[in-house]
Amino acid sequence: MKKNADNAANAWKVVLLTLLNMNEDIKKITIFPGLNKFGKKENFQKIDISEGEVIAIVGPTGAGKSQFLYDLDRLAQGDTKSKRKIFINGQIPEKEWKFNPEKKIIASLSQSMNFLTDISVKDFLKLHIQARGKKADLKLIEETISEANKITGEAISPDTNLLNLSGGQSRALMVSDLANISASPIVLIDEIENAGIKKEQAIKILVEEGKIVLIVTHDPSLALNANKRIIINNGGVVDIIKTTTKEKGIASYLNWIETYILKIRDQIRSGKKIEDIKLFCKKIDKI
Amino acid sequence: MKFIIFAGTPGSGKTSLIKYVIRELHKNFKIFFAKFDCLKTDDEKKIADEYGIPAEKKLAGELCPDHYTALEIPKIIQKNQDKDIIILETAGLCLRCSPYVKEGLGINVLDITAGHPERYGPILTDADIVAVSKGDLISQAEREIFRHNILKVNKNGKIIEVNGLTGEGAVDIVEFIKEFPEIKTKKMRLKHSMPSAICGYCYGNKIIDDQAVRQRYLAGKELKNLVPNLNCGKCGYKSCNEFIRAVLDGEAKKEKCPYIKIKLS
Repeated sequence: MKKNADNAANAWKVVLLTLLNMNEDIKKITIFPGLNKFGKKENFQKIDISEGEVIAIVGPTGAGKSQFLYDLDRLAQGDTKSKRKIFINGQIPEKEWKFNPEKKIIASLSQSMNFLTDISVKDFLKLHIQARGKKADLKLIEETISEANKITGEAISPDTNLLNLSGGQSRALMVSDLANISASPIVLIDEIENAGIKKEQAIKILVEEGKIVLIVTHDPSLALNANKRIIINNGGVVDIIKTTTKEKGIASYLNWIETYILKIRDQIRSGKKIEDIKLFCKKIDKI
Repeated sequence: MKFIIFAGTPGSGKTSLIKYVIRELHKNFKIFFAKFDCLKTDDEKKIADEYGIPAEKKLAGELCPDHYTALEIPKIIQKNQDKDIIILETAGLCLRCSPYVKEGLGINVLDITAGHPERYGPILTDADIVAVSKGDLISQAEREIFRHNILKVNKNGKIIEVNGLTGEGAVDIVEFIKEFPEIKTKKMRLKHSMPSAICGYCYGNKIIDDQAVRQRYLAGKELKNLVPNLNCGKCGYKSCNEFIRAVLDGEAKKEKCPYIKIKLS
């Protein structure tokens, strides 16, 4: 009897959420420790990640970084190789969040960014908006493309065929798509560095939408810009470092250098001669 | 006994996924595995060696692989009464056939790179679980569009993203298998009817000429009424239809079928 009442309550919740066309607010993810490669318990009690936070996941190749993202993606309950448990808002997450594509709370930006559909950028975004169960309005499409163009140096036009996008353009478009179209409040990113895009800008766009961002990266400016970094080795979390103010300053400097390199890159592309190079940083952002 | 069918086009990643599923199940359940294929396979050996479970290969040869699968199901069940779970793998080659049975769990392994889901028939639309493979090759947005398109043709199926290389998604499928009920009836039924493919080509030939094919159909139909349609194999052919083809081609005498011989004498 109680179960029936619960089911009815849940059904109403689903109806309401559908009407409001939104997910329940995700305020906090909690990760409980599992076992490392040698079967030893991981070196932490629990990890709390809150709304708007950026977390970097670092560690050597084969250390288990992708497994960590996978556990989050499938909201593991001790049923994966690592035996980790993931709670959302302090509770065991609903099964629906894992299987129902319209309610999936986690979106991932994967390493490969190939497209198969032979279609223009604008029509593709329209399809995606419809797949998300929303009305495809022109404004949202324009906004998504214009935000993507803030991330990439090579502007994307709405009529470009998806298959003709460069690697950088594809990544920029997918970041902007995650921020604007996909409603999932948690974003997992598996390496973003090998592309001609403004990475810091990309992360900023996601965080501005209130998303929780977890990013696997070896990129110094990205890792030092995160709120925390989780260090993984031998299949388990070995340490969690809170980013210091000094590190954030260093990140800002590194980011200036990278933006500078991107600028030179654009100049070379547009046929200019490069006569001079500034090796110092003129302006440091306020820390 | 639970009855599970994995179906999907060649190269979609069925066997790799099944390996991960069996790895999770074989310690606690008695499993029998059969691989249906057309011409050649040795996957059954790999699975038998790796997990120490009984496994068989079933080659359809000249028969339609889905028809052949359905014909073999009763024999497999008869032979494996002591098992907890029977897992069949089949290619479901023409996309029109339905390999699934009502009483069993039907899992379609669907390659995300293979194009629009609307191209598939009952192999996708009647599946209880749609295991989407190779999703790591494309972008998140396109994956979501793909899922949306699957829901358009199969709104009751559970969509699970799987990866044959890492085993991702296999534990979810194992969960469904564990919760799935046992078969209670002796007489199982297909979820969808087989195609009504009754023409001169059903008795095997290379002719392109509608009149000649019709002649062959009529001649075949006459024989079809004489044979027992039990696929007993006493004539030396795998099925009655194959025997009819041989008779029509002049390869065999119709008296080779013991039932026809009795009828004619």
